Amino acid sequence: MNRGHEPFDTLAAVYAVGALDGVERREFEAHLSGGCPRCAATLSEHRETLAALARSVPPLAPPPEVEVALARRVGATARGRRPWLSWFVATAAAVVGTAWFTGAFVAARYEAWLGLMARESAALRVRLERDAAALNEQLAQYRGAADLLRDPVTQVVALRGLGPSPEATGRVIWHPTAGGQLFVANLPPAPPGKAYELWTIADAAPRPAGVFGVDAAGLGNHRFAPVEGGKPVKGFAITLEPEDGVPAPTGPMVLASK
Amino acid sequence: MTTTGADLIRRMATGDQVAFTRFYDLYASLVFPLIVHIVRERAEATHVLREVFWEAWRRASKYDAARGSPEAWLVARARSRALERIRARRKRGETLVGSADDPSATAPGAEEPGVQHGALDRLPETQREVLELAYYGGLTQTEISERFKQPLGTVRTRIRLALARLREVAQAT
Repeated sequence: MNRGHEPFDTLAAVYAVGALDGVERREFEAHLSGGCPRCAATLSEHRETLAALARSVPPLAPPPEVEVALARRVGATARGRRPWLSWFVATAAAVVGTAWFTGAFVAARYEAWLGLMARESAALRVRLERDAAALNEQLAQYRGAADLLRDPVTQVVALRGLGPSPEATGRVIWHPTAGGQLFVANLPPAPPGKAYELWTIADAAPRPAGVFGVDAAGLGNHRFAPVEGGKPVKGFAITLEPEDGVPAPTGPMVLASK
Repeated sequence: MTTTGADLIRRMATGDQVAFTRFYDLYASLVFPLIVHIVRERAEATHVLREVFWEAWRRASKYDAARGSPEAWLVARARSRALERIRARRKRGETLVGSADDPSATAPGAEEPGVQHGALDRLPETQREVLELAYYGGLTQTEISERFKQPLGTVRTRIRLALARLREVAQAT
């Protein structure tokens, strides 16, 4: 055992839980970046221990709307970064170029037709995937709303358009322990980089209840979780915010309960 | 479990949306309790969870299996994002962690009724307290030392012993 290294073993533990500060933190990070395999291994071991700590707590399922929102966001980027697509385009260009230079007119037309079919197929698949995801999401929303309406405790709260969107209307189907379902109409689509954010209003500051968008027709819906501890809610409001949402309202209010 | 998670991250790095969905299904219920434990507010915790998985999707190509398991990678990310959220809240004046002069103030996760602590409950009280404040509350060793009026060395030793004990517990289960 290298006793001269023992102080670093303790510092590695403090660093792993994020508590090392000041000069010691800078010195330890310099020591690490200088290449200390023992400290790197110790840190890795501590991080696995902290992951095991997380596993030792009973799992808790997050609200389903998180997965829906993420799937939509990831879907938008996934379509833009498929490596096979650029490979396909490059290959198709090479094939057409070769055909041109060899004067094989028929072959070129055939390749062009194949390329066109491939592009149409790819576009159709993307469209179908998008439509299926949207339909599944819509179905889940309507099922959720129907489930809520079966319970006599459930309330239906009307929302009225304000300021920039006086024509907008909305309804919230609200259950204090099961959560709520929001439906809006006549709300203009949010500008790029922005989204609508729903707020629940009780005694204290408004609490965020998730971001959502509307379609080109101004229609939108959004499922959201109950307030922690099933606390009563006095009202609901919707503001225009950055697309990732914010913990406290900053933008203009577009809808609010009467 | 580890191999599956690492494989999913590799596929996410190539833009595989199905892999992302499976990755989410595999780990969301693991990190969500940790985030709730830190931010103590479910609506805010769902915001943080979205940020964590969005970041995992965007940074999947940076994941290095040699440096740790997918769980450790994601748990570290979730803790950081959750602490950033409560620090931002603290800046707005909603103090969650009291000052050193207020011994009754608690950090996120500390002594909350009904909260499941998992393996933390297997630690001696003194070790559990410092680990809670550091790991879930985001306090530094100096802040913990001031809060408990204990020497810095004592705080460090308790953290090291707590991690060693947790490792024993993890290996035994």
